[in-house]
Amino acid sequence: MSTQTKSPEIVLDYVKTVGIVNNGYNGRGFANPYDIVVGGDGRIFVLNRCDPLRAAAIRIGICNLDEEYLGEFGRGSGTGDEQFVWPVAMALGSQNRLYITDEHSHRVTLYDIPSNAPVKYLTHWGKHGAGDGELNGPAGIAIDSSDNVFVVDQHNSRVQKFTSEGEFIANWGSSGSGEGQFNLPWGAAVDDDDNIYVADWRNDRIQKFTNDGEFLAAFGSPGDGEGQFHRPTSVAVDAEGFIYVADWGNERVQVLGADGSFQLLLKGEATVSKWGEEYLASNPEEKAQRDVSNLIPELPAHLNTPYHISSQTEPYFWGPVSVSLDHDGRLYVTETNRHRFQVYQKR
Amino acid sequence: MISNDTDLMAHLLRRAGFGANRNELEEYLAMGYDGAVETLLNPSDPRNMPDDLIRRYHVDQSELRDLPGSAAYWMYRMISTACPMEEKTALFWHGLFATGYAKLNQARSLLNQVEMFRRSGLGSFEDLLVELSKDPAMIVWLDNNENHGSAINENYGRELLELFSMGIGNYTEDDIKECARAFTGWTLGNAEYMAIRAAKDSIWPYGRIAWHFDYRDEDHDDGEKTFLGETGRFNGEDIIAIIVKQEATARFVASRLFQFFAADEITEAGEKIIEEMMATYFSSGYQIRDMLRTLFHSEYFQSEEARFARVKSPVEMVVGAVRMAGNYQNPYLGIEGVSNTMFYMGQGLLRPPTVEGWHEGAEWIDSGALVERVNFVAKELSDVSSPGVRSIIDRLEAGGDQGVLQPSDLADGCLDLLGPIQVSDETRSVLVEYASRLGDLDLNGHQPGDQAEQRVGAMLRLVAATREYQLA
Repeated sequence: MSTQTKSPEIVLDYVKTVGIVNNGYNGRGFANPYDIVVGGDGRIFVLNRCDPLRAAAIRIGICNLDEEYLGEFGRGSGTGDEQFVWPVAMALGSQNRLYITDEHSHRVTLYDIPSNAPVKYLTHWGKHGAGDGELNGPAGIAIDSSDNVFVVDQHNSRVQKFTSEGEFIANWGSSGSGEGQFNLPWGAAVDDDDNIYVADWRNDRIQKFTNDGEFLAAFGSPGDGEGQFHRPTSVAVDAEGFIYVADWGNERVQVLGADGSFQLLLKGEATVSKWGEEYLASNPEEKAQRDVSNLIPELPAHLNTPYHISSQTEPYFWGPVSVSLDHDGRLYVTETNRHRFQVYQKR
Repeated sequence: MISNDTDLMAHLLRRAGFGANRNELEEYLAMGYDGAVETLLNPSDPRNMPDDLIRRYHVDQSELRDLPGSAAYWMYRMISTACPMEEKTALFWHGLFATGYAKLNQARSLLNQVEMFRRSGLGSFEDLLVELSKDPAMIVWLDNNENHGSAINENYGRELLELFSMGIGNYTEDDIKECARAFTGWTLGNAEYMAIRAAKDSIWPYGRIAWHFDYRDEDHDDGEKTFLGETGRFNGEDIIAIIVKQEATARFVASRLFQFFAADEITEAGEKIIEEMMATYFSSGYQIRDMLRTLFHSEYFQSEEARFARVKSPVEMVVGAVRMAGNYQNPYLGIEGVSNTMFYMGQGLLRPPTVEGWHEGAEWIDSGALVERVNFVAKELSDVSSPGVRSIIDRLEAGGDQGVLQPSDLADGCLDLLGPIQVSDETRSVLVEYASRLGDLDLNGHQPGDQAEQRVGAMLRLVAATREYQLA
């Protein structure tokens, strides 16, 4: 389901839904996914944040668009190598290096994810603090064309720029709502000109900066109208400059033009994934009742909020925490509360 | 404001809230007793921990699929709200209209029920019963989704009369059947699919789907019914309108409110207040808020007899201690472990043992539960790094003789700032004797965690272990 401007410059077609809730510790399916990275070879890496009951299963799952589950890596909850506590976001560098932030252990973990060889843990870096290069709640992460790494340092209200090896280069930002200021920022993205975009979460806006941190623009304001946001969590920018925003608090995704103009919004239109179909095929009684149910119901007035509507309307986004792009014009929307991602194709 | 007023306000805030630290107490004292009652009975902005912050860090409390995170979500609200009576009211109805996770496998809808208690719990009892009857969690809990025009299921009708309004002995078996007939067709959306999912605890393919009310006219028995002596083609609302005008209902509601907010045991003096609350019930059009106003303004409630006349429930123990210590005011990794503590003490939020709720009063205390209660509170209150404890230390210092406290000052000061708590002479002498072992306490120049502060923490821990601290 989508709404759009009268003459949108972009059209997105729903493709499919991938995922199923994973109630165990390993294997197929996802557990509160928080971010997705799509490799150049088409592999889809899914960061499973996991709830406390399943913290031992914190991991990165690998699948593809054909819904084949290819494996996973990571060693659950903790602060040892390859362990995470509250992992938030991922980014992929040019050398097949996957970077993963952890807002609780204040560090960035690196893996090598070559196409034709096993995933290999490399290292982690990050020290808790407020000094240059120190981190307090690293959230979003993005990498520019020179492999510089930009980390959203949420509790320090700033963006920090590092080399690919984690050496501090620069930072900018402070706490507040003015230009270049942040309030618990979350996601980050880099465009083809190496400009930096930050989802300024509690200021309900997206901020755009030069690669060196010079403020360029801010898009959005608090609200649920077109071009307005409620707690945006993630941002992505395609080659044409379209800006995709996970409008998390409004349980939707919005697309803006390069100038910040509203283009369209998506509410989600999930269908049953291949894995879901397999589950329902083995539970025919459940499937029979599901088939005659209305999964987009009218709700009582007291439940008329985006969160409640999504909690009762399975096809809609619920907890759309991340927007990711691949090189073939596809948009991937990660839904924490539905343990899946929806895929859209740009025409 | 004389000391007696402080004692009375602390008493009110233990009943209409979860107790109060000294800063809160002073805010309410500035309102005066009448103003405080009105503020408590008319919740406005709870200023509780915002949902967006909770959802960002606690994915389990965003999805609310499982019990531990869902109980913690409600506990966050209790420990951070500026409107404690709103949560206390919700807790009261949660205990009376006890609906549990075990059968439902649907925490989101249970929390929607709790939100309904916040929204309607101080208003008209008639409206509340209508909302309760439309509540999807209650519908599944008591099988009203199995109550069809062609074949009734009496479960909800029976408990509505027995446990939720009039009490046994005030209606007949025929009344139950007629009541059940009136509620046929009151179900939830996609009832059959949701029932299968609940029964199988199915979370597939994409997690839980929360519930909403649905009325199926074609499944409703629209025939004539005779209920409590009245005859008509009653629907559920008509039945509730008849229920609420019964004296037995007024007595039931007044008694339960009295026992939750005033005293575990109903004495002769208490019985008189219950009758006054019943009169208010009818004169106000069944308004719960007005009944509680009658209670809080009664001579009985304000008397010494009503003080410390209730055993604190586990929720009151845990939430009260956390609020006093000032902890967990931001999302905290492991918070579900804190709310689980209530369960170990005998009262797990969202999981009452049966539809009858919890057995309260002295039954809260057994040897295992007592150890849990004392250990938890002692740990919270003896941590001198907690903001609430630091505030107590600062107040003790300010109240001492140039920062120096004699042993009796330390004991009395801690009893005062944790309540005030009234203790027996024997208890007080034990506390003073303990304080005397290290002589006077010099808080001048105290530093975080130093020996002087640890002595305060030790005294607070000891107060938490007293018999009197178990009482509200």
